[in-house]
Amino acid sequence: MEKGLTSLSRVLHIVSSAWVLILAGLIFVDVMGRALFNHPLLGTAEIVKNSIVAITFLQIPLAILIGAMLRTTIILDAVGPLGRRIIEICATLLAIAFFTALAIGSYEPLIGAWRIGEYEGEGAMRVATYPVRAVILVMATLTAFILFWQLYRLITGKKHTI
Amino acid sequence: MGSEIILILLVALFVMILLGFHIGIVLGLISGFGVYLIIGNAQAALSIISSTAYDAVRNQIFAVIPLFVLMGDIVAKSGAATDLYRLCDRGLARLPGRLSVATVAGNAVFAAVTGVSVASAATFSRIAYPEMRKFGYDRRFALGSIAGSACLGMLIPPSILLIVWGVLTELSVGALFVAGVLPGLVLTFVFAAYNVVKASRNPDLAPRIEVDLSDMETPQQRRSEKLGGLGILALIMLVIGGIWGGLFTPSEAAGIGVVGALVLGLAKGMRGKELMQAIYDAGKTTAPILFLLITASMYSRLLAFGGIVSIIQDFFNGLGVGPATLILIIAIIWLLLGMVIDSVSIILLTVPIFVPLAMQTGFDPFAFAIFGILIIEAGLLTPPFGLLVYTVKGSVPDPDVTLGDIFVGSTPYLVMILFVASLIWLFPILATGLLVFM
Repeated sequence: MEKGLTSLSRVLHIVSSAWVLILAGLIFVDVMGRALFNHPLLGTAEIVKNSIVAITFLQIPLAILIGAMLRTTIILDAVGPLGRRIIEICATLLAIAFFTALAIGSYEPLIGAWRIGEYEGEGAMRVATYPVRAVILVMATLTAFILFWQLYRLITGKKHTI
Repeated sequence: MGSEIILILLVALFVMILLGFHIGIVLGLISGFGVYLIIGNAQAALSIISSTAYDAVRNQIFAVIPLFVLMGDIVAKSGAATDLYRLCDRGLARLPGRLSVATVAGNAVFAAVTGVSVASAATFSRIAYPEMRKFGYDRRFALGSIAGSACLGMLIPPSILLIVWGVLTELSVGALFVAGVLPGLVLTFVFAAYNVVKASRNPDLAPRIEVDLSDMETPQQRRSEKLGGLGILALIMLVIGGIWGGLFTPSEAAGIGVVGALVLGLAKGMRGKELMQAIYDAGKTTAPILFLLITASMYSRLLAFGGIVSIIQDFFNGLGVGPATLILIIAIIWLLLGMVIDSVSIILLTVPIFVPLAMQTGFDPFAFAIFGILIIEAGLLTPPFGLLVYTVKGSVPDPDVTLGDIFVGSTPYLVMILFVASLIWLFPILATGLLVFM
């Protein structure tokens, strides 16, 4: 289980991180095209904009899994193992609440966007909104699932820190 | 009514952050909960959370964060930082304390290709520390120069803090970058001067070195150094020069910078595995920052909702303190926060409230941004949560080094950062001077 979640999150993380490199390539081609051939790459702005949202959410599962999310450890370091465990359990419960709320809240806009064929952008480059909305929903669900797993491990005492 | 709820929530928010809950999650959850309490409708709360998640970073400007971090990581892993360090060292010849001055200079140049301080602190811990110790430099003196001068990474553009500040205050990120250049050079000069003075007064800290390090190098190494050094300079001209000269927008410059860094990395012999590692690490740095930006924008919606910003402003105005005292209070709050939370979070939490206050006192917005970033990044060196101190501890190849050594060693740098911040306050032209030429 642990292994499966880790490798899935890792793959998502690598795909989205490599995507940043591809974006850099796109921007490069766009700027060079504009400068040298007076012919920019149409829709670069739209692609970049939407990619950033998708990239961010694709990277969240691993960030949660390896504890990369920003936090302060000033009190955590000062309390004993029991206090630490209690704080971790509370923090995990809140995180579950947040990602569950995000997943539930994203459901209707996604269905709506899919049904009416919602688009953003104008003219030559119109981008459908449902793929990014779907990424948010799926990643929020996966993250909530990972957090449940961590909660289980915290409560059963198999894991003491996040 | 609404504002009282929000004040209580703000207190809860700080308590939860102090307890060590994930800052991003606390911001998002408290914001959703606040909206629910005020409107009394769970659907509205869910919809604020989900619409912000979709909208908050859906703007081209946010692309600069992952792009600049990736550029810095590629350059750091290409070995070009070692080249830079050696070149600086050779250029300094017989200067007292030249290895630590080279650390400062190398950091300053490296700062111009990276947006975060952590990368520089980690890199120079591995390169410069063994070199300084080999030549008998005092441990704390050496550690201080590494942790202290890594702060330059957050001030000299490109800088993640400047980007976040620009996004929050709707100031042009390109202009903020340009505003950071002179103060960055001043800070570099102050750091370097400190090292020279200290080393010439007390040679025990930094013994004079008679040998030329580069004499021990093979011609091949020298070629590689030239490539790395010139490559970094070319990248800087391209990225910062391009923004300043109006050739590129910041996000274009960032994209081109990544391609440039990739070319440099490949030329330096970087291959698939190292490249993959750079890409992987860059993602690890950016994901928490972007997530924090998303939930912080939920938080600023909550603040706007309850009109809390004007209430806090009224409170400060009601204190009847003069403009100087007000700025001083803001600076002290930042320093205190810097002891417990990270710089990006401090900016996200406080800038929406403090910037309008400071603007009332007639502080130039660009100068205030640089002033604020200097004060906030001083927190990177203060105990107990000095991010750079921990980074140096984690990267230095010497298990005997304690956190205490690094904190003590970097204290003079903390003082110098605060000194330069006061210079900006007194002479805002240091930040705004170059903007005239844009």
